[in-house]
Amino acid sequence: MSKQSNRQTWAHPWSYREGTIITVAILLLGFALQATSSGMVLMVARFPLNLLAGLVFLGALIFLFVFWQKHPAIKWLGSVKAALPAILGFTFMVLLMGFVKQDVAPETALAKLLGLNHLVKTWPFILINLYLMILLGIVTLKRLTPFNLKNAGFFLNHFGLFLVLFSTALGSSDMQRLRMNCYEEQTEWRAVDNSGKVFELPVAIKLLNFNIDEFRPKVTVVDNQTGQVVLNKGKNQFELLDRNSFDLYQYHLEVEQFLDASGKVGESYFQVNEPGAAPSAKVKVTNLADRTEVSGWICSGSYVHQPEALKLNDQHSLVMLPAEPRKFSSELNIQTKSGKNLTTTIEVNRPFKIDGWTIYQLSYNTEMGRWSNLSVLELVRDPWLPVVYLGIFLMMAGAGFLFLYGKPKNGGTEHVA
Amino acid sequence: MEELNMWLDFPIYASVAILCWLGASGLFLSSGKKKLNQLAAALSFAGTIVLLLFLTVLWLHIQRPPMRTLGETRLWYAVFLSGIGLVSYLRWKYKWLVSYSLGLAIIFLIINLQHPETYDKTLMPALQSPWFIPHVIVYIFAYALLGASSLVALRNLFFAPTEKTINGPIQMADNLVYLGFSFLTLGLLFGALWAKEAWGHYWTWDPKETWAFITWMFYLVYIHYRFRHPAQHKKAMGVLAVAFVVLLICWFGVNYLPSAQNSVHVYSQ
Repeated sequence: MSKQSNRQTWAHPWSYREGTIITVAILLLGFALQATSSGMVLMVARFPLNLLAGLVFLGALIFLFVFWQKHPAIKWLGSVKAALPAILGFTFMVLLMGFVKQDVAPETALAKLLGLNHLVKTWPFILINLYLMILLGIVTLKRLTPFNLKNAGFFLNHFGLFLVLFSTALGSSDMQRLRMNCYEEQTEWRAVDNSGKVFELPVAIKLLNFNIDEFRPKVTVVDNQTGQVVLNKGKNQFELLDRNSFDLYQYHLEVEQFLDASGKVGESYFQVNEPGAAPSAKVKVTNLADRTEVSGWICSGSYVHQPEALKLNDQHSLVMLPAEPRKFSSELNIQTKSGKNLTTTIEVNRPFKIDGWTIYQLSYNTEMGRWSNLSVLELVRDPWLPVVYLGIFLMMAGAGFLFLYGKPKNGGTEHVA
Repeated sequence: MEELNMWLDFPIYASVAILCWLGASGLFLSSGKKKLNQLAAALSFAGTIVLLLFLTVLWLHIQRPPMRTLGETRLWYAVFLSGIGLVSYLRWKYKWLVSYSLGLAIIFLIINLQHPETYDKTLMPALQSPWFIPHVIVYIFAYALLGASSLVALRNLFFAPTEKTINGPIQMADNLVYLGFSFLTLGLLFGALWAKEAWGHYWTWDPKETWAFITWMFYLVYIHYRFRHPAQHKKAMGVLAVAFVVLLICWFGVNYLPSAQNSVHVYSQ
C-alpha cells in the first residue's frame, strides 16, 4: 500500500484509486444527467440505429486495442484494478434496485428526480453498463492475443458476459411484448403494449377453445366473528379436498360427496355442466374436543353462485376456497400474412413460435375461472435473442471450466477461467 | 396411508438424522482414532440417507417436487451440506469442517421442527416445467458449497492465517467457492432460459432475480480480488463472509423486503 500512496494520482500505472474515482465519477455524472433530464425514461435507439451503434462500439474497442494496447491506460482497463471498482459500482446500482421497488410510480421527489423506480432505464445504469462492457471487451481482446487454448475458460466467461450485456442493452428497444385478448370463436389480430398502444399484427389468432384443469379446492376453518382463517399453530391452515377423510385444526372431516361442477337446488347441490357451476362437497365434521358432529354442504361459489360455508359452532365455520388452476391451455387457429394456417395448443411453459413471434399463454378471466371464454395471450418478438442465447451458452460452458479447473494456478498462467 | 400426514412424521426422521449427526460430530471432535473416525463418517452418511429417504417419501406423497417452500429448500440444504461436509472430510480430512457443516445442517432441521410445514400440493402452472428441478437443486447445491466456504471464512476471521491454514482450509475454501460459483452461474442461467419459456422474457429484474444477481456479483468480487491478491487472506475471508450474508438475504431475506411484495418467485412460507 505504501508504494501506492507515494504515487501521484493519475500517474501511471493506475491502480484502484483511479478505478474508484472513474467509477464514482461515472455514477455521479449519470445521476446528474438523469436529474437534469427531469426524470426521463431512457430508451436505446431502435433497429437499425442500435445495430449501427453496436458495430461502431465494437469497432472503436478493437481500434483502441490494436493501436494503443501498449498504452498504460489501456493495459489498466484490462486489469482487475479497473474491474473491481467497476463491478462494485454496478453492484451498487443493482443493490439500489434490490431495495427500491421497481416499475411503480415514484413516491418521493428524489426518487422521481433520480429515476430510482426505473433504474434500468436511467443514465447512471446505462453508463456503468457501458463502462463494464468496455472493460470486458478490452480484457477479452487482451487474453485473445496471442490466442492460447489455456485461456478458453477465461474467454467463455468474459466474452459470454460481454455478449449478454451487449445484446440485452441494444436489443431492449427492439423487443416487443404485447397482450392480446382472445374470446372464444372470435378472430383477433390487434394487441396492446404496456402503455396501452394498439398494434396490428401480421398474425391473426382465433381462440377455438380455452381449457382449465383445476386442483381440487382447499378447505379451511374461519373465525365467525372476524372472518379470518383460524391459525393452526403453524401447521396446515388449508387442506386439499383430495381425500375422503382428514383432520383439520380441532376437527375431523369426512367427505361424503364431492361435485366438481354443481348448482344448488333447494338445500342440496347437484352435478351440472353449465357456465358458473361451482365445486361443492357434502361433509361430516366431528369436533375432536367434544365429539359433536355437524354435517352439510360447502361450496366455493363462482361468478354465478354464492359461496356456502358450514357453521361448525359459535366460533368456527368451514369454508371452501376457489379451486386453483393446475393447468390452463388455449387451442388456437393461427393465420399469418405469410400464408400459414395452422391449429395448435399452447399452455404455460409451452409457448408456440411462428414468423419471429412467440405466443405465450398469459392469463384468462380469473373471475369466471374454468368457465372463462377469454384467454389472454402474450406475443413476444425478440430479434436479438439468438445473440443473448449465444452469450448465455458461452457462460454456461465457462461455468464448466470453473468447475473443472477451479482457482487459477501459478499466478494465473494456467487455465484462468 | 391416506391420512398419513407426512410432516407429522418429520420429527421422527429429523430426530434420527440429528442424533446421527450429533454422534458423528462428537466422535470427529473427540477422537483421533481411525476406527472411531470411520464410525463418525458412517453415522454422518446415515443421517444424510435418512433425510433423503424422508424427501423421497415426501415427494411421492405430495406428488410434486418438494422444492417450493422455504422449509422444503432447508431440507435439501441440510442434505447437501452434510454431504459436502462428509466429502470434504474424505478428500481433505478436515474434521472441524464436517462438524461445522453437520452443526449447520442440524440448525436447519431444528428450524424446520420449530416451524412445521404445510404440505400444500398445489403447484402453479408456471412452476410446472422440466426446468424447475434443475434450477432449484443447482441453486441449493451452490448455496451449500458457498455456505461451507463461509464457515472457513468465519473461522479465519478470528485467527491470523498461518501457513497451515493457508495451505489447508483457506485453499479448500477457494475450491469450494469456485465450485459453488459455477453452480450459482448455472442456476442463474437456467433460470433465465426457463423464464423465457414461461414468461416471455429471460430477465425482468424481479426482486429475487435482482438479489440473485447481487449475490453472484459479490462472489465475482471475491474471485477477482483473490486472483489479484492471492496473499491477502484476511481481507479475502472478510469479502467471503459478507458475500454469504448477501446470499442469505437472497434466499430468506427477500421474502421480507418491501421491494419484493408480489414477486413471482419467493419461496412460500
